[in-house]
Amino acid sequence: MKLSIYSLKKVIFAGEASLLNCNTIAGEITILDNHENLITVLATGVMKVIDKDKKENFFEIKSGFLEVRQGNEVRCMVE
Amino acid sequence: MENVQDLKKRLKSIGNINKITKAMELVAATKMRRAQEIALASRPYAFAALDLLANVSLLNTDLPELLKARKVEKTLFVLVASDKGLAGAFNSSVFKKFESVYKTSKDQAVFVTVGEKAFNYVSKKRLTVIKKFTNVGDFTTTEQVQPLADFLVAGYLAGDFDKVTVFSTHFRSALKQESLTREVLPITFESLQQTVKDIIPDKGKFADLIKEQQINFVPSKDVINEYLVEPSAKEVLADLAKHLFFMQMYHLILEANASEHAARRMAMKTASDNAGELKQALNLQYNKVRQSAITNQIIEIIAGAESLN
Repeated sequence: MKLSIYSLKKVIFAGEASLLNCNTIAGEITILDNHENLITVLATGVMKVIDKDKKENFFEIKSGFLEVRQGNEVRCMVE
Repeated sequence: MENVQDLKKRLKSIGNINKITKAMELVAATKMRRAQEIALASRPYAFAALDLLANVSLLNTDLPELLKARKVEKTLFVLVASDKGLAGAFNSSVFKKFESVYKTSKDQAVFVTVGEKAFNYVSKKRLTVIKKFTNVGDFTTTEQVQPLADFLVAGYLAGDFDKVTVFSTHFRSALKQESLTREVLPITFESLQQTVKDIIPDKGKFADLIKEQQINFVPSKDVINEYLVEPSAKEVLADLAKHLFFMQMYHLILEANASEHAARRMAMKTASDNAGELKQALNLQYNKVRQSAITNQIIEIIAGAESLN
């Protein structure tokens, strides 16, 4: 899936990813390829992204939003 | 005839002033560039957030408090100016703009000031300042803008005021800044869009960026996507509104900073140019005085030698 993670300071991640795991205010979720369209609010925690080279990336976040869009595209706005 | 010593002193002090203004010009130029770069770095976030707002608001007709307009009884004016002077017309143009708007408004008004100069101006007019923020001039991180945004949101939700109008400066290019008025609360699509557009200056190094990214903010009705929204559209929208408002304030402050430094750079450039001119004129005068003193002395010596014969 195409994943972009933006913060006010910079673009944290942009590119292909195979897995995204994060905390939302409704609980922890994992997003894989072709996820259903979803909008949710992120909670404090660590975001885990596995990119196409199977490398794990971790980002600490305070709050934010997650949007899974049509066309296998995921966008996050975090702080 | 002027004293050679006095002229020399003046020459030296003007030389020093020239050095100081030159240094200030360079510092301001660097700070301006940095403020601009920071503003640009947050652009993708702003675009994505606006896009999300458009999507969520399609799903939900029940707007949260921050997005709803209510009957205006009390208006909060936020004046964004600098802490320090020596920035040309930067502060006075904001105040002038404020005065022209304030004259026509009939609602009750309260004030929040950002920057020492704004506070001095408002208190001199004997208007009520409910809170002042200072040391904003070099703000670059989001944490530093948070108290201001939080204060405005809390006050608005508590009903302390029904409308927030910000007076600040729009950074059009390094050479041109203009004062602007923006209604930030209640949040409207138009003002948010304007903010996002304004992130890119009209001219200069970063102006080309606007061409490569044309984004349409108006959601088209025919591509209505089915979204699963957790926990609920209303809650997401309320949270999103807060974040967007914060983003807007962050940009207003960054833009005012870039403008302040740009204005100061211009003022200092003019000052050092003037100092250079003055120095040249004084140097000429100094040489003339010195020359005529030498001529006088020679005349005296010749006259003395002649009288001996």
